[in-house]
Amino acid sequence: MYKVLSKADLPRLIERWMEQATVYAPVRQGDFTKFEPLSDPAQADLHYAANTRYPPKSLFLPQSEVMFRVKGGEFESTEDEVSSRVILGIHACDTRALQLLDGVFLAEDYQDPYWAKKREQTTLVVLGCADPCETCFCTSVGSGPFDKRDADVMLIDVGDEYVADVRNEKGQALFDHLPDASQEQIDKSRQVQAAAAAKMRKKPFEGEGIKDKLYGLFDSDFWPRIQQSCLGCGVCTFLCPTCHCFDIVDEAQRNERVRNWDTCMFRSYSLEASGHNPRPTNMERTRQRIMHKYAYFVELYDEIGCTGCGRCVRYCPVDLDIRQIIRSVQSWEEE
Amino acid sequence: MNNPSTSSGHRTWIPRIVVFQCQYSLYCEADQRWMDIQLPQHIKLIKAPCTGRIGPLFVLNAVQGGADGILISGCLPEQCHFKEGNLGARRQLDEFRRFLTYLGMEEERVRFVWIDLSERGRIQQELADLEETIGAIGPARRLATRAIPAGENL
Amino acid sequence: MNQLTFAIRQEAARILEENIVDVVIGFKAGILPLKAQPAFITRQEEAEKLMHNGFCQNNLASYLTRRPKGERVGIICRGCESRAVRALVLEHQHDRDKLYLIGVPCTGIIDWRKIEREVGENTLQAVEEGDEVIVTTRDGEHRFQRADVLHDSCQRCLHPNPVGADIVLGDPLPEGDPERAWAPVLEFEALLPEERYACFVQEAERCIRCYACREACPMCYCAECFVDYTTPRWAESMITPSGTQAWHIIRAFHQTGRCVSCGACERACPMDIKMTYLTDKLNYDMGQQYGFEVGASEEEQPPFAAFTLDDKNRFVR
Repeated sequence: MYKVLSKADLPRLIERWMEQATVYAPVRQGDFTKFEPLSDPAQADLHYAANTRYPPKSLFLPQSEVMFRVKGGEFESTEDEVSSRVILGIHACDTRALQLLDGVFLAEDYQDPYWAKKREQTTLVVLGCADPCETCFCTSVGSGPFDKRDADVMLIDVGDEYVADVRNEKGQALFDHLPDASQEQIDKSRQVQAAAAAKMRKKPFEGEGIKDKLYGLFDSDFWPRIQQSCLGCGVCTFLCPTCHCFDIVDEAQRNERVRNWDTCMFRSYSLEASGHNPRPTNMERTRQRIMHKYAYFVELYDEIGCTGCGRCVRYCPVDLDIRQIIRSVQSWEEE
Repeated sequence: MNNPSTSSGHRTWIPRIVVFQCQYSLYCEADQRWMDIQLPQHIKLIKAPCTGRIGPLFVLNAVQGGADGILISGCLPEQCHFKEGNLGARRQLDEFRRFLTYLGMEEERVRFVWIDLSERGRIQQELADLEETIGAIGPARRLATRAIPAGENL
Repeated sequence: MNQLTFAIRQEAARILEENIVDVVIGFKAGILPLKAQPAFITRQEEAEKLMHNGFCQNNLASYLTRRPKGERVGIICRGCESRAVRALVLEHQHDRDKLYLIGVPCTGIIDWRKIEREVGENTLQAVEEGDEVIVTTRDGEHRFQRADVLHDSCQRCLHPNPVGADIVLGDPLPEGDPERAWAPVLEFEALLPEERYACFVQEAERCIRCYACREACPMCYCAECFVDYTTPRWAESMITPSGTQAWHIIRAFHQTGRCVSCGACERACPMDIKMTYLTDKLNYDMGQQYGFEVGASEEEQPPFAAFTLDDKNRFVR
């Protein structure tokens, strides 16, 4: 079902949503945007073409999440501290990432209650990218700027309006009362999508066969070479929309059990109590990072664990580029 | 300024003081016994083998924990039981106080006392003086990000 | 190719060929237009990959503590990098005999953030031409005055010339202006305490504890960082004011008398957090209190390691 929303009417629509739910949208902060709960519809910045630096996965897997508290000796769960939410302006790559993470957190044998409740209570209003960035490579990993598979609603910017592709009941609840889009508007939205696809930089690599190539390279000299400039910081993992590793800590001073994002790039990540570390040097850790995304994830979930958002490329302090690394993997010949 | 007090000048709030003490700095037994047994409830004592052990992390931990005042008591330079421990401490702690002041803490909240072996009663004096100073500037406002509400243990 | 790049390639090839070093650490062309990639070459033929320009963001000295022990390292050093090398040698983190410093007088690092703030996120190409930086985006060409888009630390740099280098490529540059260097510290100090604290809180609250600042810093090389201690828990790993403020305060403080003011920390930060106003204050104090400047001498110990009995009247109340 296609609806149309004039940009001028968006603030009023947001206000309407705000009566029933918390609405998150990108909000300008200094030189970049970040998803924040809106107190005023005017705060939403949907014009800034680039993505938020901090990934919206934080809205489902918070960087620091209290799992339970102990108050006066009594256990206090935090599972139900979730309210109804709308996330407006999330990009297709980040939405796809949430779907990939569902594979991790909503597995057959175990469902993470914190993740599950948030996913249930949230409607995703995706804003497709009419103007993909130079560092975007979603098309190489099986997605695209207007990939709507995982959206509840996909918005396409056609000038003064958005054409809203309403995908399911959750989306309908938010957009039902709006006028239907005309055929002309729908056609225009298709043109915008085609133009965006054309604007995307030529694919840096082909996704086919990466997994097997990586497995073949496990003991190769390739890894000691490319890891040399990697500093072993957490920028790529923390900004990545699909990274999901965490560390659970009992913070005695706060009487809370907390789950924090963790990164495989830190030495302490795989350090065991005995002192043994299965990934003792940066080489093993860098190899693991690449293989987790492009081999192990594929093995487990049949999908590449990367959505091509480009954040790791843009913010790596030493200009390491996963596109370049994968290309090198594919063209690597053992000596 | 947030300084609750009655019109007669008596404080209605009790400053929470943390004392980091070098275990040798109170040579006079009576002084040490006073510290061990007769210290008022609102003053918490932490002993270290030497002030050299007391690094900026200790001070920051106390500041973030909500201490309104911090006293560090050590020996005079030539009298350190471990020869040079207190010398290392002095430069670091002095600079650290300057740094915390740069970030908005009131300088008077952290005080260093270097006690001569022959001095008696100095520590009680310093504590009373510190309490009065803190009373005048009010409870810790900035950097006390982990402060436990009054009434509970520090 | 500019003259400097040519000279670097020659010298790097030479020291590899003559077996003076096992590896040369420098820069090569980056992927993103406004950046460069650190390069590690072990064979003379690879020297032609090396280049050097204003887009070289990183402090290469941070790799010295990551290399295998005993390796002989050739390293391209600008002013701050060479002072960091000196500080590392002083702290016994490397043998000076196993280092070969190729010194480069530095005209400053171009801050890609300042450029993107003006022209948006999609630069296609960037070149330096004399005093200008020419950036091409999808909308066309934009020109910047180099001096306007240098990183803040570079604009305040006191010592662009490398110290203790085995060879210096290029002519010496004038030293920086101390007044300009310390102005931000003095301005910050002139604010009211509550204003200073508010600034600090505002910067610290963006922090995502990725520790890019720590990893980019040449002087942060502890095998186990204080943030990883659990007993006592100095800085909780949660994203809270307590944990994050402790991180910023103590990391800066651990740099006292060691920080070379290169600004690599700020350049590495994905959240654009300001940090040099902390370390600059500490450096300033070390100068004022002890007349000490890191990297100025090969033997002088930093103040916290050089305590003396003469201190005794300094802190008497």
